[in-house]
Amino acid sequence: MRPTAAAALLAALAVAALLAQQLWPVGAIALVLLCACLRAGRRARPYLWGTLFSAGFVFLLSPLLQSTGWHVLWSGPNVPVLGQLDVTTEELRIAALNALRLAAVGLAFAAYALLLDHDRLIAASTGRRSVLAAALATRLVPTFERDAGGLVEALHGRGLAPEGLRGHAALLSPLLAGSLERGINLAEAMESRGFGRSGRTRLPSPPWSALEVGAVALAVLVVAGAIWL
Amino acid sequence: MALAVVEELTFSYPDAAPALDRVSLEIEPGEVVLVLGPSGSGKSTLVRALAGLVPWFHGGRFSGRVEVAGRDTRRARPAELAGVVATVFQDPEDQIVLAQVEAEVAFGLENVGTPPAAILPRVGRALDAVGAAHLAGRRVVELSGGELQRVCLASALALEPQLLLLDEPTSQLDPDGAEAFLERAVASGAAVVVSEQRPAAALRHAGRVLFLDRGRIVLDAPRDEAVAWLDEHRPSWTSEPSDKLSQGTPGDVVARVGGARFAYGGGPEVLGGASLELRRGEVVALTGPNGSGKTTLAKIAAGLLEAQAGTVERAGRAAFLLQDPGRYLVRETALDEVALGAGAERARRALADVGLAWAERTHPRDLSSGERERLALATVLVIEPDLLVLDEPTRGVDPERKAELAALLRAQAARRATVVVTHDVVFAQEVADREVSLGSEREALAVA
Repeated sequence: MRPTAAAALLAALAVAALLAQQLWPVGAIALVLLCACLRAGRRARPYLWGTLFSAGFVFLLSPLLQSTGWHVLWSGPNVPVLGQLDVTTEELRIAALNALRLAAVGLAFAAYALLLDHDRLIAASTGRRSVLAAALATRLVPTFERDAGGLVEALHGRGLAPEGLRGHAALLSPLLAGSLERGINLAEAMESRGFGRSGRTRLPSPPWSALEVGAVALAVLVVAGAIWL
Repeated sequence: MALAVVEELTFSYPDAAPALDRVSLEIEPGEVVLVLGPSGSGKSTLVRALAGLVPWFHGGRFSGRVEVAGRDTRRARPAELAGVVATVFQDPEDQIVLAQVEAEVAFGLENVGTPPAAILPRVGRALDAVGAAHLAGRRVVELSGGELQRVCLASALALEPQLLLLDEPTSQLDPDGAEAFLERAVASGAAVVVSEQRPAAALRHAGRVLFLDRGRIVLDAPRDEAVAWLDEHRPSWTSEPSDKLSQGTPGDVVARVGGARFAYGGGPEVLGGASLELRRGEVVALTGPNGSGKTTLAKIAAGLLEAQAGTVERAGRAAFLLQDPGRYLVRETALDEVALGAGAERARRALADVGLAWAERTHPRDLSSGERERLALATVLVIEPDLLVLDEPTRGVDPERKAELAALLRAQAARRATVVVTHDVVFAQEVADREVSLGSEREALAVA
């Protein structure tokens, strides 16, 4: 399937997850997207951990920051600024909905990053510059992962190992510096290959197939369904 | 009429001494010019000036004039020169823009406005010209360093440039690969300017040689005349491989790998039963073509990878120097970087051993690529390992520095077993007691 159609479908699922007000459709969307991401195998791991962590954080924290509902499940201490800490059934439901929404959006991005052919997406785009920037940014996670692996391997080669959270956090600064250096080298290479020049052309692309037209139609239906629900 | 004219070019990067100092030269269409010179002599800056990247991309003080195909590079941006000029940089991973080989090669063609119907045929011809037609549908993340370098050359050749600039383009290729790469570049018919630290292959193809030193051209001569000059004034640049093996007396066994097998992530087997014995006091050169499993075997010997079958015995501490010196830049000063594995005093000695005593307080990222290589070497020397493995330690290092590195490794050889994974035949012969070559059948074969 051409990436434009797949991207439309993923975007529609993310939008539907944000629009839907009930738990089950959002959960179903998140589950479908999770299955799609799992097709990428081990490469999906950092995305899945990132999504799980963010969604889990929202689920755990948001009931404590809200004051909604009457069915109290737990009543905690009175904390300055926040007031009385308690958890109600209604707050849990809202927290679960928001966590699932965040998970769905995160998984839609993960599927976009892991499964789509960004080159063809760039080729099909009218806003080539911004889509290229987005595609390069998408590669940030796997590039960071590979660079971090390289730094740790180099430390092992010196008989050292990063220990604990602090040891790993100390690698962040060299990772960012390396990433900036790589960015400058890449920009230089792109400029020398004519990027930014006027009069650009593009590789011809094949006509849309029935499957691809169907995917875009499904994307529209998904958003409409979410609004209706 | 000359294709490129450089007239009294002086260029300084911000807050630095001139990288190029009153450089003048002319390049004729179809000419093949080899640019030699020590690290930091201005080779890369000259290449970038011809591409218009200096001064447009790299700020600094620019005086003089550079004209390519009649266009002054101070007026025409590098992107506007693309197509007339094409550049292949040293590190292929830092110049790949797109994720798929065909799209990557087409990227430049699209930018310069090639008619859509002509793009795919030109991509196909360029990939074919570099012997990479079989890679067309592949994703770039699946390619080896050597394959990536060929894709980069194809991307440049697809533009059908009049001037092809190659900045140490064969640093990751084995000798046969480097020879084939240069042959293909020269066969394109473009004028070629190639900067190299391993000049043997390039000297066979060049018609003219420039030698830069501290930003000045100290030699500009036809090849034969240049070879005679190099023999007399810079003999390390024309050294041929010699049979200088077996210099030391091996002692106790430090590491022994028997029948090791290994495959990455369920892929094809990289090692199919390789064996290697390493003794204290000897320097072993581990050689072989790209993809033969040299680095994998060395990592298994040093304990960075575990063999999936076979036996591994190790006595004492192992250290492994990876190919990419950028992975050794995790602290704010060179001294702190080296002291990470030991105390400050030992770190100072290690820095002095590699000729970087002056750089104690320098930020590692402010060092040149050759200096970074030496800093990385200091980080592994400082832990005084029983087994020292160096993976391609001469990448980006000029012959004079290579000779110093060989002398350093020889001087410390008695303390440990040393393994040098390398494509550099001259360096291997210079430094090693024994050469172990991994063939395409991926079995360790002792040849000396």
